[in-house]
Amino acid sequence: MAGLLDKRLWIVSGKGGVGKSTIAAALALRSARAGRRTLVCEVNTQERVSLLLGHPPAGPEVTKLEENLWSVDVRPQEAMREYVLMVLRFETLYKTVFENRLVRYFLRFIPSLQELVLLGKILYHAQERRPDGSPVWDTLVMDAPATGHAIAFLRVPQVLLQTVPPGPMSREAMKMRDILEDPATTAAVLVSLPEEMPVNETLELHSALKEQVRVRTHAAVLNAAFPERFTADDLEALVEHPELLHVARSHHDRAAQTVLAQVKLERNLQTPVYQVPRIFASSFGREAIEQVMGHLDSLVTGKEGT
Amino acid sequence: MNALSPALAKKRVLVCVGSGGVGKTTVSATLALRAAVDGRSSLVCTIDPARRLANSLGLHTLGNVEAEVPASALAPLGVSPKSRLHAMMLDMKQTWDDLVTRYAPPDKRERILANRFYQSLSSALAGSQEYIAMEKLWELRTQRDYELIVLDTPPTAHALDFLEAPNRVLDFLDNEAARKLLTPALAAGKLGLSLFSLGSSYMAKTLSKLTGAETLQELANFLLAIAPMNESFRDRARGVRELLEAEQTGFVLVTSPGRERLDEVVHFHRLLKQHRMEVVALVVNRVHPMPRPELWEEAKQLTPTRRAKVEETLRELEVLAIQDAAGLAALRAACPETPLIQVPRFDLDVHDIAALWRTGRFLLGDEQLPPPPPAPPVDAERLREPRLPD
Repeated sequence: MAGLLDKRLWIVSGKGGVGKSTIAAALALRSARAGRRTLVCEVNTQERVSLLLGHPPAGPEVTKLEENLWSVDVRPQEAMREYVLMVLRFETLYKTVFENRLVRYFLRFIPSLQELVLLGKILYHAQERRPDGSPVWDTLVMDAPATGHAIAFLRVPQVLLQTVPPGPMSREAMKMRDILEDPATTAAVLVSLPEEMPVNETLELHSALKEQVRVRTHAAVLNAAFPERFTADDLEALVEHPELLHVARSHHDRAAQTVLAQVKLERNLQTPVYQVPRIFASSFGREAIEQVMGHLDSLVTGKEGT
Repeated sequence: MNALSPALAKKRVLVCVGSGGVGKTTVSATLALRAAVDGRSSLVCTIDPARRLANSLGLHTLGNVEAEVPASALAPLGVSPKSRLHAMMLDMKQTWDDLVTRYAPPDKRERILANRFYQSLSSALAGSQEYIAMEKLWELRTQRDYELIVLDTPPTAHALDFLEAPNRVLDFLDNEAARKLLTPALAAGKLGLSLFSLGSSYMAKTLSKLTGAETLQELANFLLAIAPMNESFRDRARGVRELLEAEQTGFVLVTSPGRERLDEVVHFHRLLKQHRMEVVALVVNRVHPMPRPELWEEAKQLTPTRRAKVEETLRELEVLAIQDAAGLAALRAACPETPLIQVPRFDLDVHDIAALWRTGRFLLGDEQLPPPPPAPPVDAERLREPRLPD
C-alpha cells in the first residue's frame, strides 16, 4: 500500500464535527516529521490547525509554525487580490478597478469566483517551483470544507468549465481541474465517525468526489473509535449491577458500532480504513494531536505495523 | 417546564440553527412531534434528514411537499397526539424553479431556467440554500394554517451566510453595481448585448480581462431577463425578514458542548441578537453527564479484571463529563440571558420515535441534567470578543 507521502496534495474532508481539522493537523505534523516541507491550508473558516498544534493563528499569510511546517488561512479578499494581480499584472489597475466599491460588490456575484480564487490559491501553492524546478512544497494538506460545501468547492473548476465561456477564468479552471484529477498528485482522506449518519455521508462524499470531481479516495479515517472491551460474559456478570451494566453496555454498543462502521467503510470505499481511538484528555491540544498522529503512521508512510 | 415550553405552545415559527453535525434535525423533528402531541398542528421542514428519521416518522421518503405522519408511527409511544404532525424535506432546486415558474413573465421563464447563471444561483451561490429555506418558510407560513412550523436549516459554515442570505440574494438580483457597469447595454434593453457596448465602460473592460467578455455579457443578459421579477423577489425577501423578526418567531440555537464549537455558537448567538432575532433557547445536545460517585464503590465488588474494565470506562466518562461541563459553563457565562437546555448523549444515534420522545423530555424540561458549575471569570471574559479556542 502506497503511503500518503507519495502524493503532494492531501484533501481532508468529512461531515461537520467529525474531527477534520484534528486529522488534518495530525497528518501535516507527520509529514513535517518525515522531513517534508509541509503547508496546511485552511479554507476561509475559523482557523483551527495552528491552534491545535499549539501555535498562534497563522492568518492569511503563509506562516512558519515549526520545523518543516507552515500554515495559511486562505481568505477570499486576499486570495482575490493575488489572483487579480496574477491575471492583470498591474497593481495600479487593481487599485483603480478592484478596490472600487461597486466593482468589489459586483465581483461577489460572479458565480463561483470566490471559490475559484480560494481553490486557485491553494492549487497555486501546489504548483510553486523553485528556480531549479523542484516544488516549493513537498506536501500540501487542505483542510477542506465539510461534505456538502466540499463538493461545491472542489467542483468549482468543472462548474466553471460548463458555465463560463472560454476566457481567462476557464483557463484557470482547466489548470485547476488537471491538478485535482491527477492521481499521482492528489489524494483525498475522508474522516468519519462510528455512527450511522457520518458513515453514510462519507460514502456519499466518496462517490461525489469520484464522479463529480474525479478525486481519488486514498483512505478513510474512522475517528473517535471505541475498542472492544466488554465481552458477552462480562455483560452477563454485571446483571446484578444495573447501572454498571448500563455503562458497560453503552461502551460495548459503541465498540460494536465501530466494527460495523469499519466494515461498511471498507466494503464500500475499497480503501484502507484507519482507526483513531477516541482520545480521553481533559484538554484537546498538541499532546492529543501527537497521540492521534501515532495512529496515522502507516497511512502516511505506507509502512505496516509501526 | 422550561423556556421551550411556552415557545412550543405560542410561537408560530421555530427556526433551529447551528453548525453541522450537532443534531439540528433531531431537535427540529422532536419539537414538532411534541407540539403535535400537545395539541398544535405542526410541520417540521427538514433539510436532508437521515432516512431512518423519515422511516421513524412512518414515511418512506420525504419530499418537497408536506406529508402527514401516520398515527401508527406514533403508536409505540403510547400517546395519541391531540393534533396532526406533518413532515417534509426541502428540495432546494425545486423550490427555486417553482419560484421562477410562478413569478417570471411567461415569455422569459424558459430562458431564465436554462440560463447558466440561474443554475449556479440556485445551486451554488453561497447563501442561496439558506435563502431558499427561509423563502419556503415564508411561503408555508403565509399559505398554510399549521399552528407551528419548525424549520431545520442547512449546516452553515458561517453564521453570516444564514443571516445575510436574503440580502445577498436580493443584491444579486437587483444589483446596482451590475447596472452601473453594464449600463449602456442594459439601458438599451437589448438582449443581444454586443461586445462593443459592453466594452464602452472602462470598468467592464477591465473586468472582462478577468472573467472574459462573454461571461459578463451572459451575466448582463441574465440580469435583464430577471429584471421583471425583482419586485416580487424584493417583496418576498421583505416578508421573510419581517417574519424572522416577528414576535411569533423564535430561534433555537443548537450546539454540542465541545470546546471546538463554543466560539462558533457564541458568535452565532451574538449575530442573531444583533439582527433582532429572538433566541428562545440554547440547546446543548449530546452532553455527557457525570457518572454517579456511588458507581465507583459498586465497581469494587467486581472481579479484578471486570473492575478494571468498568473503572477505565468510568474514568473516560468522567473526562468527557468534565470537558462538557467546562464547555457548558463557558457558554452560560458568554450568553447569560439565554436559557440553556441540556440534552444528554444517548447511547446510540437518535433516530427512532422512542428516542425522539426521550430527546423531547429533556428539551422540554420533563427531565433535566444538573446545571453546569459556574465558569471561572477569565473564561467569560475571553468569550466576549470573537477569539479562537485554546
